[in-house]
Amino acid sequence: MAPVELPVEKWTGKIKEVKLGGNGRKSMVIGGETTLPFLKFEGVLPNKPVIAVEVQDAPPKDWPQALVSAYGDALKDPGEWAKKALSFGAEIIYLRLKSAHPEEGNTGAAEAKKAVAKVLEAVDVPVIVIGPEVPEKDNEVLVAASEVGKGQRLALGNCVEKNHRTIAATCIADGHVAIAKTPIEINLAKQLNILLCDVGLAADSIIMDPTTGSLGYGLEYTYSVMERLRIAGLMGDGMPSMPMLCDVGEESWRQKESRVTTGVPETWGDPAERAINWEIITAISLLNSGANIITLRHPKTIEFLKNSIAQLTQAG
Amino acid sequence: MSQQVNTFEVKFLPSGKRVAVPEDSLLLEAANEAGISLDTPCGGQGRCGRCRVKVDSGKVSQQESHRLTKQQIAEGWVLACSTRVVDDVVILEPTKKEREQVVVETADTLTETPLTCGFTFAPSLQRIHLDVPPPSLEDAANDVDRVKRALASQHGIEHARLELPVIQKLAAALRQKNWEVTVTIFDDKSGGPAEVINIYPGKKKGPVLGLAVDIGTTNVVIDLVDLATGRILDRASERNKQIIRGEDVISRIYYSEKGKGLLELQNLVIETINLLINDLAKKHKFSPDEVEDMVVAGNTIMLHFFLGLRAKSLREEPYVPTLIDFPLLKAGQLGVKINRNAYMYCIPAVAAYVGGDIVAGVLSSCLYQSEKLTLFLDIGTNGEIVLGNADWLVSCACSAGPAFEGAGVQDGMRATEGAIEQVRINSNTLEPEVSIIGSGKPLGVCGSGMIAALSEMFLTGVVNKSGKFNVDFVQGIMKKNSRVRLGDHRYEYVLVTAKESGTGKDIVLTEVDIDNLIRVKGSIYSGMAVLARTVGVDLNDVEEVLIGGAFGKHVSAEQAIIIGLLPDLPWNKFRYLGNTSASGSYSALISRAARDTSREIGRKITYLELIADTSYMNELTGAIFLPHTDIARFPSVKQILEKTGRQ
Amino acid sequence: MALTGIEIYKFLPKTNCKKCNFPTCLAFAMKVAQKTVDVSVCPDLSPESKAALEAAGRPPIRLVTIGPDAKKVEVGNETVLFRHEKTFFHPPALMVRIKDNEPLESIEKTVAEVSSYSVERVGIDMAPNGFAIDNLSKDAGTFAKVAASVAGKSELPLVLMSTDPAAMEAALEKVGGNRPLIYGANAENWEKMAQLAAKYKCALAVIGKDGLDSLSELTEKITKAGVEDLVLAPNTANLSDSINTLTQLRRLAFKKAFKPLGYPVITFPGAASKSVEEEAILAAQQIGKYAGIIVLDHFTPALFYPLLTLRLNIYTDPQKHIQVTSAIYPIGSPKETSPVCVTTNFSLTYFSVAGELESSGFPAWLLVCDTEGLSVLTAWAAGKFDAERIAKAVKTLNLAEKISHQKIILPGKVAVLRGELEDELKGWDIMIGPPEAMDIGSYLKQMWKN
Repeated sequence: MAPVELPVEKWTGKIKEVKLGGNGRKSMVIGGETTLPFLKFEGVLPNKPVIAVEVQDAPPKDWPQALVSAYGDALKDPGEWAKKALSFGAEIIYLRLKSAHPEEGNTGAAEAKKAVAKVLEAVDVPVIVIGPEVPEKDNEVLVAASEVGKGQRLALGNCVEKNHRTIAATCIADGHVAIAKTPIEINLAKQLNILLCDVGLAADSIIMDPTTGSLGYGLEYTYSVMERLRIAGLMGDGMPSMPMLCDVGEESWRQKESRVTTGVPETWGDPAERAINWEIITAISLLNSGANIITLRHPKTIEFLKNSIAQLTQAG
Repeated sequence: MSQQVNTFEVKFLPSGKRVAVPEDSLLLEAANEAGISLDTPCGGQGRCGRCRVKVDSGKVSQQESHRLTKQQIAEGWVLACSTRVVDDVVILEPTKKEREQVVVETADTLTETPLTCGFTFAPSLQRIHLDVPPPSLEDAANDVDRVKRALASQHGIEHARLELPVIQKLAAALRQKNWEVTVTIFDDKSGGPAEVINIYPGKKKGPVLGLAVDIGTTNVVIDLVDLATGRILDRASERNKQIIRGEDVISRIYYSEKGKGLLELQNLVIETINLLINDLAKKHKFSPDEVEDMVVAGNTIMLHFFLGLRAKSLREEPYVPTLIDFPLLKAGQLGVKINRNAYMYCIPAVAAYVGGDIVAGVLSSCLYQSEKLTLFLDIGTNGEIVLGNADWLVSCACSAGPAFEGAGVQDGMRATEGAIEQVRINSNTLEPEVSIIGSGKPLGVCGSGMIAALSEMFLTGVVNKSGKFNVDFVQGIMKKNSRVRLGDHRYEYVLVTAKESGTGKDIVLTEVDIDNLIRVKGSIYSGMAVLARTVGVDLNDVEEVLIGGAFGKHVSAEQAIIIGLLPDLPWNKFRYLGNTSASGSYSALISRAARDTSREIGRKITYLELIADTSYMNELTGAIFLPHTDIARFPSVKQILEKTGRQ
Repeated sequence: MALTGIEIYKFLPKTNCKKCNFPTCLAFAMKVAQKTVDVSVCPDLSPESKAALEAAGRPPIRLVTIGPDAKKVEVGNETVLFRHEKTFFHPPALMVRIKDNEPLESIEKTVAEVSSYSVERVGIDMAPNGFAIDNLSKDAGTFAKVAASVAGKSELPLVLMSTDPAAMEAALEKVGGNRPLIYGANAENWEKMAQLAAKYKCALAVIGKDGLDSLSELTEKITKAGVEDLVLAPNTANLSDSINTLTQLRRLAFKKAFKPLGYPVITFPGAASKSVEEEAILAAQQIGKYAGIIVLDHFTPALFYPLLTLRLNIYTDPQKHIQVTSAIYPIGSPKETSPVCVTTNFSLTYFSVAGELESSGFPAWLLVCDTEGLSVLTAWAAGKFDAERIAKAVKTLNLAEKISHQKIILPGKVAVLRGELEDELKGWDIMIGPPEAMDIGSYLKQMWKN
């Protein structure tokens, strides 16, 4: 009997390869795949998805006990925190300059520079720097971060339509990558990429953040928007073919299911186990829909997901 | 190693000026050196085609341009801005007349070409002269029977009906000219008996009059037609008086729901119609009573108001009209001031938001018989779209909003005298050049002017693809706050300064206006795209685009494509048809067959509810960009952008 | 292959007779293409057209039913590869594996726990779907006894796991009437298993871990033997095998209409996992990527609640507009003196208004009304953003408790609602904001003094 003829799609496009790090810092390339996630029978996946672990510039006020106890005293210093993250298996440090937020301390360029320098000093993996997500404030602290990390190809975010000119200019000047964030909508994601390219940022210096919805809180929208972006990119449209980042850690640990230990239905199950499952299930689902970088928080999740990625990308 | 650069002589005729220029110089540079001024409103980018000159002798290296026809190229015409000197050449400067000709051609406005689909002239009205045998003691049959008998025996019209208004006139009319009368017979061959709708003593002279009425949300248009010949005697139009109760249909529906709102709206539209009839009657010296037939086309909401029908359910999901196939009415029933016994035929609608005006458009554009895949657009206060051919028809409505009619745009106005209808922006200086409708000073900007301005601002880099001003870029070229400045509604571009305008104020296009325009054009384009996809055809396979309604008259297909309003098809596939609602109404007035066809079309058009279509929102967000998020759908725009270096 | 509306239309009578209750033949054809109505609704279809359309419309993945009617599980019948194209139809059944070599007491305890488990999310009750009884004892009598016991304690559907036809028959004698899934047939036992499937009218799982060639060979033999309700059990032991194989299977069905493999799939994510978390990861992947029945080794609420939630997420209608929950959102830490802007719950409207407010520098409250996901003008036109609804939101969300003034700012495009809203909200000052969100900043600068 004739063997089953496998249905292989002839994609004409390829996900762009984006390099992070370098100039003394460990470098890595993300993206470059020529097929939908992990379909080995169809295309290549030259660079496996990577795990970024979040570090903040000040001790977090709103982290649940499960996380606080996992990181311990390291939370007091961004450098120590980054080292701890590295020991858990972080491949990238995702530094959030949270205290620059007007409501969280409203720190400025000087403090931002300090925090970034500490992290760059402490670890040699690539670093992503995220502002407080208030566009004007982002401009201030990210420009500062950019100078500190000049040449080390950081990723700076979040770049939105409002501040895309400033972030792009900074990235061009200092050789960084922009994290282009849009609200769960394929066209808006594409449009921001086009605008960034139009102001001169190279297409291989953009990572998309399509906005993450965690399990139970809009995961399906993110899932589908990412699948569609991937398909569009593989079909040869250059504009949605940038690698994608999903902020799984923040989104899944924000939810009641990961934080509340009492006063919820018994059917929700053991709180510690549930919180970890919430993070890993969000993470695996978004990896399957095309994430190239996922942020994670809990050491156990990091470990499991690292194994999963290895399994999904092993040769053969 | 240095290389010898060749120089060539360029001679201009008839001025006889000569210059020597290095090889590969542009003809435009040569002309400048020679002191010959050529128009380059686009800044010498080969976009406007205004720097056309003719090569008399010698070779040039010419770039292709869509601005020149094959014939023009064969005749030696080139664009000076994109043609290079590679030989000694003699150039003919364009004459003044040729220059003017170029200006007209490059405006690219669609010319109005009304179509007729060959309906045989066969109106429902007929005027018949009757010699009714006078009564006697032997034959004392009553007046009505006498008229019926005469109709049957002299004209083969059996069982004619008469209604009270005619019966009331009968006794006097029959006896006034000694039993010689003229009767008007209405018979639309829909199965019922013919009806005597009017009677005149003796031989009635003069035309048989009918009205083709188009009730638009904004304007009411009436064609006065001689039903003996089918000739349109005159056209009158007037703002729909309902406008005082809201510019758009939704506002009016809301108004109609309060107190006596519905009655007031009904009265307002009938007043508008009566006013127009009165004007026509005065001008053409007839009595409104002599008008004996009327056809009405309008959107479903206008027809609901005209008939005094509740419209609330048309605005609420699932958008259900009271009816779409309107009964034959008598003018007297509604107080329309023509002969009160005259019939009024309303062209049937398809759905709440695709009305008889669109059916009339499909009727008069012959779309329903076309073998070609055809797109019909009627862009007015709303945008309605029909796609199909002789085999099938689908339609949808986009809530485009009245931006192209000037509403909601800071210096917007309708396409009337004084409106800016065309804009060119010089890509080197970013200075605009505007042309206006009529003579006089510019007063504002109409739909075509907005499209032109947006297209030019986009191509020259004044705004980016999301319609936001490239302030740094602009300020690198022109003085801060000269043309582009921060106004009350974000940044704005000054199209005409206060000094040059007829209003004494600057005429501007603001970032908020642009945002609005991009949304409107996006909603229309995405309506077309969803419609095409729903039936499984590619928008770029459309073979003909027919544009009806007030929109389009002054619009450049090219610029509408550049901003992504119209699909990227060759310009010769677009045809502007003018007021197709009025022409459909006219067809139904002069041809019974057209009435039947209008009903068939109404039944045949499949309506697609965009709000219910799940892909619409996605299409819409994709289309809210210049020209579109998916540039592959606009290959010609992509090419232009690549050429201008704006990727 | 799926036909477009126009392609279907060509087969229809084109009389626009309305007997199908659609206004035109084309409207009907488009609904048929969307699979929301069956083509047989047309009374005037010629037999040839009917046959052609039915063949084209046949689902590429067979629908298979398991379990007694009251709690039956239907899997298969999917019509798309990606959930954004169209809602996935039949959520995968999440089942729990029971080992027949464990003490009956502990089995019964698990069965009771699983059958009574139900968890609510957004008003929907979610629960596990059944049990897979694994004949680890290798003993026919034990297998039959455990099967009978489980069936006696729970109405949930069963999968009977044994490759021994004798054991299977023994179990079927007890629970065959409950329409269990027979798991399963392999190259050695398929004839006997097929006979059992035919006899008890049950679906049959076909086990083929050595690739799709042998699996399709086997299914063809079995269908020739007259058993059509099949479930595939290919190799899905790890994440990579699973996503690759299951994607191939679904693509074969849709892209090639390959019938021998056009069946739903059963997976066992726990089989090769070393921990509950690994099992959770594989199960989660299989919920998104194409499993029909997922048999888990572990049952804990902390595992099932997130998995059931994921299943709910993945199997929702993908084309429902993203809506924002109706609530009062603080933008930039507003105080009780801060302005209140009103808008609709269409996500993009919300994002643009919230974005403009954020960058205006004015801390503000954003009152989001439930307009069923429509934007301002559309919602207003459709009567879903009117004075009544806005007033209701103001009252039910207790706006008055958050602020010290009584002012709300309406979008300029619905200025017309002011009068009615003043009637509905006595004592409130209804301000009219700018028609475009972009102007909110300059509006607040002018109009909001405190």
